[in-house]
Amino acid sequence: MKLDPIKFEVLRNGFLEATEEMALALRRSAYSTNIKTRCDFSCCLFDRDLRPIAQSFSQPNHLGSMVGTVRQAVLEYGPEKLEPGDQLVVNYPYPSGAHLNDIVLVAPFHYRGGVQGYFGNLAHHVDVGGGAPASVGAFREIYQEGVIIPPVKMVKAGEIVDDVFRLILSQIRSKRETAGDFRAQIAANNTGVRRLAALFDRHGAQTVNFYMDELIAYTDRRTAAELAKLPKGEYAAEGYVDNDGFTDEPVRLAVRVAIDEGGVLFDFTGSDPQRRAPVNSTLAQTYSAAAYALKCVADPDLPVNAGFYRHVRLLAPEGTVVNCVHPYPVVAGWETQVRLNDTIFKALAQAIPERMIAGTKAMQCHAGFGGADPRTGAYYCYLETLGGGYGARARSDGPDAVQTHGQNTENAPVEETEINYPVRILRYELVEDSEGAGRRRGGLGVRRDYRFDDHEVTFTILADRDRWGPWGLFGGEDGQKARYILNPDGEARPLGSKSTVDLGPGDVVSYRTCGGGGYGPPEERDPRLVLRDVREGKVSAARAREVYRVVVDTETWTVDEAATAGCRA
Amino acid sequence: MTHRYRLGIDVGGTFTDAILIDESTGETRIAKVPSTPGDPSVGFLEAVERILREGGADAAAVGYLVHGTTVATNAIIEGKLAPCGFITTEGFRDMLEIQRQIRPSLYDLLFEKPRPLAPRYLCFGVPERLDATGAVVAPLDERAVADAALQLKAEGVEALAVCYLHAYLNPEHERRTREIVHEVFPEAVVSLSSEVAPEFREYFRASTTLINAGVRPVVERYLSSIETRLRGAGLRGQLLVMQSSGGVLTFEAARTKPVHMVESGPAAGVIVSAYLGGVLGFDNILSFDMGGTTAKTGLVEQGAPTVTKEYEVGTAARAERGAKGAGYPIRTPVIDLVEIGAGGGSIAWVDSGGVLRVGPQSAGADPAPACYGKGGTEPTITDANLVLKRLDPDHFLGGEMRLDEEAAWRAVKEKCADPLGLDPVEVALGIVEIANSAMVGALRRISVQRGHDPRDFVLVAFGGAGPMHANRLAAELDIPTVLVPMSPGTTSAMGLLVTDIKHDYSATLIQRTDALDPALVDRRYREMEALGRQALQGEGAAHAGTRFERLVDMRYVGQSYELAIPMGDGPAGEALDRMLADFHAEHERAYGFAAPGEPVEFVTLRLTAVGSIAKPGLRELPAGRGGPEAARRAVRRVWFAEAGGFTGCPSYDRYRLSAGAVVQGPAIVEEMDSTTVVHPGFRAEVDRYGNLLIRAGG
Repeated sequence: MKLDPIKFEVLRNGFLEATEEMALALRRSAYSTNIKTRCDFSCCLFDRDLRPIAQSFSQPNHLGSMVGTVRQAVLEYGPEKLEPGDQLVVNYPYPSGAHLNDIVLVAPFHYRGGVQGYFGNLAHHVDVGGGAPASVGAFREIYQEGVIIPPVKMVKAGEIVDDVFRLILSQIRSKRETAGDFRAQIAANNTGVRRLAALFDRHGAQTVNFYMDELIAYTDRRTAAELAKLPKGEYAAEGYVDNDGFTDEPVRLAVRVAIDEGGVLFDFTGSDPQRRAPVNSTLAQTYSAAAYALKCVADPDLPVNAGFYRHVRLLAPEGTVVNCVHPYPVVAGWETQVRLNDTIFKALAQAIPERMIAGTKAMQCHAGFGGADPRTGAYYCYLETLGGGYGARARSDGPDAVQTHGQNTENAPVEETEINYPVRILRYELVEDSEGAGRRRGGLGVRRDYRFDDHEVTFTILADRDRWGPWGLFGGEDGQKARYILNPDGEARPLGSKSTVDLGPGDVVSYRTCGGGGYGPPEERDPRLVLRDVREGKVSAARAREVYRVVVDTETWTVDEAATAGCRA
Repeated sequence: MTHRYRLGIDVGGTFTDAILIDESTGETRIAKVPSTPGDPSVGFLEAVERILREGGADAAAVGYLVHGTTVATNAIIEGKLAPCGFITTEGFRDMLEIQRQIRPSLYDLLFEKPRPLAPRYLCFGVPERLDATGAVVAPLDERAVADAALQLKAEGVEALAVCYLHAYLNPEHERRTREIVHEVFPEAVVSLSSEVAPEFREYFRASTTLINAGVRPVVERYLSSIETRLRGAGLRGQLLVMQSSGGVLTFEAARTKPVHMVESGPAAGVIVSAYLGGVLGFDNILSFDMGGTTAKTGLVEQGAPTVTKEYEVGTAARAERGAKGAGYPIRTPVIDLVEIGAGGGSIAWVDSGGVLRVGPQSAGADPAPACYGKGGTEPTITDANLVLKRLDPDHFLGGEMRLDEEAAWRAVKEKCADPLGLDPVEVALGIVEIANSAMVGALRRISVQRGHDPRDFVLVAFGGAGPMHANRLAAELDIPTVLVPMSPGTTSAMGLLVTDIKHDYSATLIQRTDALDPALVDRRYREMEALGRQALQGEGAAHAGTRFERLVDMRYVGQSYELAIPMGDGPAGEALDRMLADFHAEHERAYGFAAPGEPVEFVTLRLTAVGSIAKPGLRELPAGRGGPEAARRAVRRVWFAEAGGFTGCPSYDRYRLSAGAVVQGPAIVEEMDSTTVVHPGFRAEVDRYGNLLIRAGG
């Protein structure tokens, strides 16, 4: 068959639209806040050889992790055992999955008697059982983290397999929500199957398959062309996760980025051995960190399919925190994974300083809690993740209060949260003076306070950054550290960044997330920008004078030029 | 007749269109003048003057004037909102800074968040708190409100937005805040979230309220200036403005809730499609409006345009698919449009993987497509159509502008065909087909993704470039009929004159249907109807009748997205069972499954108060003898894939086609502001109003 560039573009759009329609069906019919509001899910189409063809997602974290899971699940279960209308469910982490909350449903696509493709969708479920509500917390092994699901059939010939469904749900605290989310996931795969069937009807199996191959080849060419533009060389950096949840020994991450004729190699050799603590990243999670970085430095417009993934090359030795094995716990693997991204960009700042960023929030920053809802008596679970400061760039400040790297989950509206869960949010605001100072400053962190008035709650913080703030670059200062505080207005007590506490009526948990790192020396910052920050109350006048060496007259809102010149001399 | 004329004025980015209908004869007249972005009222008045002069019409004989305007949108996009303060619950003043905490582009390390709608020093948190049932947990600190108002006064703000947590359930604190502000800062214009958009999810409500507050002084000044000058010119008729939801509002009402006119312009195209459908007996319509830089599609179901509540303003045409958080959300009803960067001026290029791409960059009006001979060298969709000979270089814009075929050919060849090693004609076809595939995608998103089957719809095609592509798009989607109205370039403006006065109200009421208090639902609706009736009465005699449309947003308990289910006119208690059945069916249709055993809840009650306005009739063509021969211009060789290359294709002068004439494809039908392509295997029939109806058949 000869390539018709027009049909190529038509089918390429068709593949992508199939996954976008899946995403819409999933989001709109899901029940848990984490999926419907915060969009913690992804959808993907695979060809008959299980190669990813098109992917729709709002969370780049799922770049690599879902792709590996689907392949591993189908091969392990046996593709020949999948009939039309069947769907597998799986959340097994090693080496191709992530934490247990990320549950994947896989549907084969049959056409005229044979399997012609697969659909998969991954959603982060609010609870999968285990040692604490919302299934977040510091544990010693995977068995404490929740229900482990090998690939099994959850749907057979279009009908939910009741035995399996009930067995899984019985491990889970928030049964009603989770059941609704599973129905939404099943519907999403059905949507994909219908959409692809229409493409096959119109163009024929042979043509569609031919263009799937061509799409992969095209993406491969384009990715190679983009990567060839990067400056050759080797760039190294190291980063740390503050602690592992059980010991205060920092978790060392070693990154070497080698750019040569063959493209980009991410080498994580030298990273710490795996811990009996939650900070272990699976190979799939580490892979997605590399894939994300590669897409950022290449062309954000590159399609994501097997032709792109072919260029993701990494070394992650087994048995380390970047490629852990059974039965090491994984629930906070994302903390390690997202810090890897920060570290990769720190390494690359040596090569392409104009395009890189100072240290960012670079933690997931989970808040998870649950208990008996006093309004209904039912067990509820809630999970969200908080934004923080972004790293400064060569020509612009780091934005305030955003998610970073592979994580792009939305905040849950305070009103929606209070309607649906027995909690009161007392504050949700920027943390003043939390920015890493610099010629370009880092973004501000956020504060969010939770109070529980009328029932007992188990609350888990699964986060980081309360020991070291995000690093500055080229003379910029580090962002301020995060803090986690119990009862900030009473007998205040700091809480660990990976801790679970039981709360009684009236208790408050306060999060203050970290600011982003600065870029360049702060005393080189344009005084007008310092003035704006002081005027907006983001930076105090005292800090402006001390750190930026700019004197602001807060009566007239002007820069005191003479005093500033004196300070900066 | 004193009120003989209706006048519509649509101010766009490049042109201001005027349309005048003489109700005594049904005659329609069109005028175009250049827009004046610096002060749009200049172009507006020039358009009014010109069309009245050309039509020989007396200003005093204009019964009413409807205005479509982007003044509100532009103020937002260009950051020209009036200085505006924000008062909210203590602890939440950074709502406008934090937004949704997401990045609008996933892989761009240099991304920026939208600038907050009010700078932080104009945002105040005051002590007060309601809980999720609307009960007062902490009383309003009136002293703190007064202090904030005084500081905002000292800062020189003109407008003020108030949004307290859970105020959609209980407006008392917001109303009291307005009273206090009026005492200490009487000249401030105050907008309350409980009035502008009383629905839960605070950032979205706050953003809507702030936009309303910030555009209010801008819109007030603009509308007042127009009104004064129109009255000065002797125009005494009613003045109305188009809303984003498709209805019209009096100037008076638009001044207090200008957020309702944010997408005033684009809505008109969908409205007129619905109107044409109504006249011709088509209930379900896909509207397709393709201009110079973008293509817009909308959907009309059972005669009514679909409306969305998830709109973000200020995002323009975005490169990244599905990007969210790039603009400012508004939660007032906006006619649902899918807009993509594919217009006549969209540029074709070859990417680093050696594949042909089209858009989203556009040559716009400057440097314009290569064939315009204004110095453009990039090949555009218009250039491609010229290379394929679908456009006639001598009859473009009625012959006012000659197109440069050589320049179009050169652009396609040098920028795309040579790098690809392909023939320029092949590539020109590719450009058109790729643009078509993107537009098919847009049509799918507005239909299939919303649970509609395009085969049940009629495609109404307009805009300068729409009729050139519509036949092919319809074929691709198995849409049986394409309708091309007369003078497609001004169809949109016609929409201004065929709509009703509308006021939208909503009230959040979250209750499970198995524990519903129907009396409360009925009471809320009575309250909203009273507001609607009052508003309509204030607007005088222009409308012939009043009616209320009631929809309830429903969902399964635990979901966050609702489906709007009609309630009908009767009491809630009687409608409930039918609404539940409708909800399950609608869920099945939209998402592919229903869960009849699951509890369902009401979330928001919606009411639209409609003041009907008599619509002008369409003018009928004089009866002709049927055949198209009289209108035939020439035969030229035009490229069609169906014919495997260039093939003899007659062109017709649309103005000389009479009712009942049938044009057999391949054919090109030319008129002043557009060109319609009829593909081989299709035929176009001229109906009695002059519309072209394209259907399969040979």
